[in-house]
Parts: sequence; structure tokens; C-alpha cells
Amino acid sequence: MNQSIKLTINNQAVGPIEVTDGVMMIEFLHEYLNLTGTKFGCGAGVCHACTVIVDDEQGMSEVVRTCINGVERFNGKRIRTIEGHAKLNEQGEITALSPVQQAFLEHFSFQCGWCTSGFVNEATALIERLERKPIPSAQVEDAIEEALGEHVCRCTGYVKYYAAVKDVILRTKGLTLS
Amino acid sequence: MKPAYSSHLSPLYSLVLALCLCLVALPSMAADKDEETSAIERGAYLMKIGDCVACHTAVGGRELTGGLPFETPFGPVYSTNITSDKDTGIGNYSYDDFYDAMHHGVGINGNLYPAMPYTSYSLLTDEDTRAIYAYLMSTKPIKQANLDNDVSFPFNLRFGLKGWNLIAHDAKVFKPNNAKSESWNRGNYLVNALGHCGECHTPRDTLYAMEPDKHFQGAIIEGLEASDITPSELNRQNWTHEDLNNLFTEGYSRKGTVFGGMYPVVYHSFSHLTDTDMLAVSRYLLDTDDNIEPQKLTFNGHNPKLPGYPLYKGYCAGCHGQNGEGRPNVAPAMAGNATLDKASPHNVVAVILKGIDSQHYNSTTSFYAMPGYAKELDEEQIKDLANYLRLTWSNQPANLDIKTIRNVKETVFSHN
Repeated sequence: MNQSIKLTINNQAVGPIEVTDGVMMIEFLHEYLNLTGTKFGCGAGVCHACTVIVDDEQGMSEVVRTCINGVERFNGKRIRTIEGHAKLNEQGEITALSPVQQAFLEHFSFQCGWCTSGFVNEATALIERLERKPIPSAQVEDAIEEALGEHVCRCTGYVKYYAAVKDVILRTKGLTLS
Repeated sequence: MKPAYSSHLSPLYSLVLALCLCLVALPSMAADKDEETSAIERGAYLMKIGDCVACHTAVGGRELTGGLPFETPFGPVYSTNITSDKDTGIGNYSYDDFYDAMHHGVGINGNLYPAMPYTSYSLLTDEDTRAIYAYLMSTKPIKQANLDNDVSFPFNLRFGLKGWNLIAHDAKVFKPNNAKSESWNRGNYLVNALGHCGECHTPRDTLYAMEPDKHFQGAIIEGLEASDITPSELNRQNWTHEDLNNLFTEGYSRKGTVFGGMYPVVYHSFSHLTDTDMLAVSRYLLDTDDNIEPQKLTFNGHNPKLPGYPLYKGYCAGCHGQNGEGRPNVAPAMAGNATLDKASPHNVVAVILKGIDSQHYNSTTSFYAMPGYAKELDEEQIKDLANYLRLTWSNQPANLDIKTIRNVKETVFSHN
């Protein structure tokens, strides 16, 4: 039993592709598209390492876990994975990291890096929400905790991750009200 | 100055007399102490089965100090401090005061709202009421002021509850049914008196009293349906004694998990039942002492042509299994799931809309949170998915329409 899947990943149209029944989205990214930056962690939706961003037509986005959601859920949708954050030149070479990626490097946020792509996606979605609806500076730490709080880092790098995201938010104009 | 009694007694005589008195008094004092200890221990168990902690503890609050809000049609009512503190708890209650509160809904400061289930607790025997009293009086007194209720006029006038009690409260003590086994009767007592299961599982009339002729037929509570738990419905769904035992001790069974308001009931209360009492409960609920054979779980096969199929595969199969088999300690199975096999689709739709909080029972049993899909799925998709679930894993008709989904949505979200 196959499903025909067509979607947009990192601004590139993909499909239609015949996908075997029962394939989870993370498997589709790895095995069908060779996009291996999204990591399989717990396999039960708990650690959030496998989080990607789903954008809708209204310019809103949400983060979705790919280990517990079948590829059918993403059919026809626009997806952003970790491979879609850095700027590339015409040869496909990285010319600049996204502000969140850069901040994680500067803060030495990650050790083994398994959870990093999930953190990048979640933090990016948070920053985009703040662009649409800024919050007072005093609420930034709470907003980070609320957004990233369910992401698990087995190396316990939470402090450095949170500090990096706070740094990006406070130094980017328009994300906070004061 | 010497005490008067010693004026005509020698010190030696006094000592001998005192020792003799001690020898006479000690055995009876020890017996009293044993009796008291045993009453306190029994009271602690009864109180667990009565689920006092769940209602008399605010989220993040200290046990039994009250403050948990109850949503009523007339406004929020807050549970009270029932520790032995004399100022803010029930430390000043005599046993008679306590009996009145438990059986008649009358506290020291006036009538209690029937959110305190005295309409069920009135069935308690005097002996058990005394044991619960002994336990509560042995608790550490914790000073914590009670919150004022926010009940609208005229329901804020508590004397009106006297009239309510006259009409709606039948303060009769439990009477066993001699045609049934001792175990069945024990189950009846645990379920109806201590467990006060009818308070949620029985529909209420216009006076907000339990309708006696609809005992256990199910009712909507805070947006979810407390299921029909009549013997006929439980037997139709092929619940076995073992299923109920698993559900009440582990929160999980072949027939699914408990959720919503039933989770704290299992966590705080029913999971502490002794094996004998647990069997008594299932014998009463199933109305049989006989063994029940488990039947094969329903799975009618997938139909990929239906719009619910990709929705199930995309949103549900990751946790509930490709063929609805579930995943241990993650999510319950769809096959055999009692929530799906109900005539009322309310809870199926409500759960898809609102999700379920995570549940933790002990070191070896827990279930992950299920997200709600009210924002992501539109009414048409929710209808398709709910119909697909019923068609695939139950024998219920897959005929839900948009109006049904809309009605459930309204009920669920009007209750936060």
C-alpha cells in the first residue's frame, strides 16, 4: 500500500513520491530525501530532537515532531528542516549561518549535537513569533522556557542553549518592547 | 505546702497504690491505644478510597489543605482545609460535627455545597465514619485559610441548601442486598459510598441532584463524558474483572486508559485498593461474581480510500500503532478501546480536539501527553477521523456529522 506525497521542503518542491504505508516523517526525510540533519531521538515524541517547522499560507508556522507523525500529515505542506536555515551561494556552499545557529556556536551551546537541529528549529519559530508579536524584555526568559522547555539535551546543555537564544532575542531589534 | 491527699498517707503506701493503679490501668490504656491506632490506619485506607486528597488539595498545594476550585453552573466552589488545624481546618469538629458534615452536608459554619459528596458519603457506616474522623484528627495541623466561593446569587445563600437537602438528599446509611454475595455488597459499598462514583457518572436533574433512575448512565463533567458504567454497558463492551483491575491499579487496560477527571481518581484512590476490595468493586460494577472470558479485540481492517485513513496514518499511527495496537507506556491501543466503542462519540471527538495530559502511575507505568488538534484539523477532518476510528476499531456506526463535531467542540471549550 503506497501513498503519493507532494510537499515543499526548504523552499524546494518535492514529489509526488510514492511512499510505503506507515512511514514516519523522519524516515521520509532520511531515506527518501537524504536530509539527515533531523535527528531521531526517543521515537515517542518526548525529546523533541526531531522537530521541524511547518509553515502555512498565512505566514504562520508551528513546530511538529517527525518521529511520531506519519508522512501523510505533511502532505501538501511547506516544511523547514535544519538544512534550510543557513544562507547558501549559487554553488550550494554555506555563506552565513542563521542568527540562532551562529549564537549556538558562539555560546558553545551543544556538545554531541544530537538535539541541536530541534533546538534551532524551535528557537527560530520563537523568534519569528516575536517578530510578529514582540514581548517586554522582562518576559523573554519565560518565553524561552515555554518554547524550548520540552526539548531534551542528554548532555544537559540547557543553560548555554537558553543563553544563546536570549542573546539573539535581546540583540535583535523589534523582538522586544523595551 | 504538701498536697492534701498525702497528709494521711505514707510515701511508701502512696507509691504502692500508684503502682497498683498503673498495673490496673495499663492493659486497658494499651488496648485503647491499639484501637485508636487501628482506627487511624483503617481511616487512612478509607480516606484514600474516598479520594479526599484529590479534591482537598490544590494544584501544587499541601495535601488536604483545600483550595481546589470546582466549576459548578453557579460559579466556582473551593474545597476546604480538612487537616486537624483548629483555626482553618476541622480541628474543632467533634465526632458528631464531622458525622453531620459527612452524612448531612452540615458543617460547623453552615450548610456545605453538594460539591462535597455527602449525598454519597451518607451511605458510610458509623464505624467507617469514626475511622476517617480518627485519621483526619491525627493529621498534622496545617494553617491555611479557606478561599471564599464565588457562587452567584441566590446560590450564595447557604440556607437555601437546607431546602435542597430536604428535596434532593436521602440521608440513608448503606444496606446490604442479601440476594447478592458478600463481595458484591462490599463492592457496592466501596463504589457508591466511599468511591462516590455516582457523583460524576450519574446524570443530574434540574435541581442538580443525581437522577436515581439513571444511576451510572454517564454524564458530561467539565467538558468530558464520565462514561456509562452500568453493568449492561460494561458487559456489552466485554470488560472483564482483570480489565477493571488493570485499569484501576495501573491506569491502563486492554480496554484503554483513564483520562480527564478519572486520572486523579485512579492515582490517588483506586490504585490503593486491596486485591480483595478490587475484586469486590469489579464484581459489583459487572454485576457478576463469575469469571468473564475476554473476547477478540475489534479490528475491521484499514480502508485507504477513506479520507480518515491518511489522517489516522499521519496524526495517530505514530503512537497508537499502524493497526491500532498501541505502544506500551506511550499510548493505548485503538483495538478494544472502550472510548471508541461507545454509542456517544463525545469523548472520541473531545480527545481529538483537546488532547490528554501525560499520566504517571508508578515507576513502570506512564503515558505520554496527547496533543489536541483543534487548531490544526478543521471540523470536516475531525469528522472524517472520528468516523474512521469508529469504523475501524468498533462496531459503532461511522455516521458522525459536522453538527456533532461542532456540538462537542462547544461543550469542550466552554469548559476551558
